Amino acid sequence: MKLFNKILVVALFAIVAFSSCKKDEIIVATAGKVGINIDHVWGSTNEEFKMKTELLHPALQEKMTFNTFRYYVSNVGMRAKDGSLVILPESYYIVDLSIDNGNELTLENVPAGEYTGVEIMFGVDSLKSVSGAQTGALSPAEGMFWSWNSGYIMIKAEGKAPTSITGDFVFHLGGFKGENKVQTTKTFAFDKSLVVNGSRNAEIYLIANPAKLWHGAEKLATKSNQKAPGVVAKSMSTNFYGGMLFDRIDN
Amino acid sequence: MIKKAKISWTFLLGIFVWMSCSKDQGSVDYSLRYPDYFPAPIYPTARNPITKKGFELGRALFHDPILSVDSTISCASCHSQGHAFADQNVSLSTGVYGRVGPRNSPSIINTAWQSNFMWDGGVNHIEVVPVAPITNHLEMDESIKNLVYKLNQNPKYLSRFKQAFDVEKVDDQKVFFALAQYMSMLVSADAKYDMVQQGKATFTSDEALGYTIFNEKCGSCHREPLFTDYSYSNNGLSIIGMDLGRYTVTLLDQDKHKFKVPTLRNIQFTYPYMHDGRFSSIAQVLNHYSNDMASHENLDQRLVNGDKVGIALTIEDKKHVEAFLKTLSDFTFISDPKLSE
Repeated sequence: MKLFNKILVVALFAIVAFSSCKKDEIIVATAGKVGINIDHVWGSTNEEFKMKTELLHPALQEKMTFNTFRYYVSNVGMRAKDGSLVILPESYYIVDLSIDNGNELTLENVPAGEYTGVEIMFGVDSLKSVSGAQTGALSPAEGMFWSWNSGYIMIKAEGKAPTSITGDFVFHLGGFKGENKVQTTKTFAFDKSLVVNGSRNAEIYLIANPAKLWHGAEKLATKSNQKAPGVVAKSMSTNFYGGMLFDRIDN
Repeated sequence: MIKKAKISWTFLLGIFVWMSCSKDQGSVDYSLRYPDYFPAPIYPTARNPITKKGFELGRALFHDPILSVDSTISCASCHSQGHAFADQNVSLSTGVYGRVGPRNSPSIINTAWQSNFMWDGGVNHIEVVPVAPITNHLEMDESIKNLVYKLNQNPKYLSRFKQAFDVEKVDDQKVFFALAQYMSMLVSADAKYDMVQQGKATFTSDEALGYTIFNEKCGSCHREPLFTDYSYSNNGLSIIGMDLGRYTVTLLDQDKHKFKVPTLRNIQFTYPYMHDGRFSSIAQVLNHYSNDMASHENLDQRLVNGDKVGIALTIEDKKHVEAFLKTLSDFTFISDPKLSE
């Protein structure tokens, strides 16, 4: 009996200690991966958006060649069939069209089940913007962090434009607080249930249109550079995020 | 007997579990020490507790020019301990390739109480402060990626990061954690002023007179015990130049030409003064406030005296205020061997 008591105390202690060490891990036996593929089109004709290729902006009627197009996607939540929202912890990604497959994101450890939609924040939340040094996609080493005015560059678009005074365009858009905060959460409903069961990778397809950045913006001839938060960053990013569309899912 | 045995079993297991949980934190024997009349610090936070190994690694990084693109400039180049971690009495600091920056290097002290950094308050967390000088073209001009690469090529640093943070590879977050540990330990609270507060010394009569005048006329911005209220203020500098100060961060008109109120602790060691280092002596600063202040649309209203701008100070007052300000000199801090590499 005394030995049993001793074992019990030790066992209880070990359980408490074990759970306190492991509290950050969510272990779901049949969890799976879900891909988010964002296809990029250019303008209302839906031609393919290509880097390092001269494109004519349909509204500005100005030519532009993109060398850099990157933006943050974060705080992904999956809408379960029962209506609950399954938030995927620490889900921060950079969509980067300069690298192969940089438009394909992988959601890890999505709990098994059926889902009817997805919630995505475009940009980075204010909490991560004020909480010091981060890792992964949020590391300042990614070149998407303003050193002089702490906060993330949520959209970075750079390239050549013959009508610009400098011959270049440089748009670093961000700002996480106040009326000019850029980050926006959007909800996309699926046309059918997305199934996660651990063995297969379901895919979500979205469509983005970088031309939307300049819907309502000044011509590049007069405004080809914006590297700070403010009304310009707010309006350009709002137009871009507003053009995000759901395409389809593949189970 | 049995009961005793049970306790020691549990105790041993507890120690084992504690070691296994906290092995990645080094030994926690370094903590922030500060007097009881200081407010509670806002750093460190639970995710980056100060350890001996982490602090010493931060100290090594702070003094190592590996942080700059051509290995010529370290943090300590412009933030020298003998000058309370301000620059060595130059108005503007020189970075790599002789490039000169636009503002005076501020003193890095008591940062554990500070929520915004730089003269314009643009940096919102101590851990991300180093990103600015490391990547700035005029300062160290290095990329964070390349710095992390260089540190990973260096066996000495690999082993020190392993000891401090239990990591096999260096990443930038751990670089910033180590630097934040060191910088937040730069606590200056051993000046004569502090000895007086603690009842271990008394002011001379000049110092005591100066303390009274200071509290009446300077203390609302340079508030005790940290000697700043961390606000942004236009203090009526006559030629303001192109630097819009706080406005560059907020884009609000009312923030044009405002700069952070600096601490006055160790002011004897940190000349020249102001965001551009325009004044070389305490006497010049006091003359500015008493005689030379200019009007500005965003002038701090605390510096307006009826229909006059400025602070009324007689020659005697200035002498006493200066005597008091020198009681803020912390000789223990500027010579503390624990802080030097």
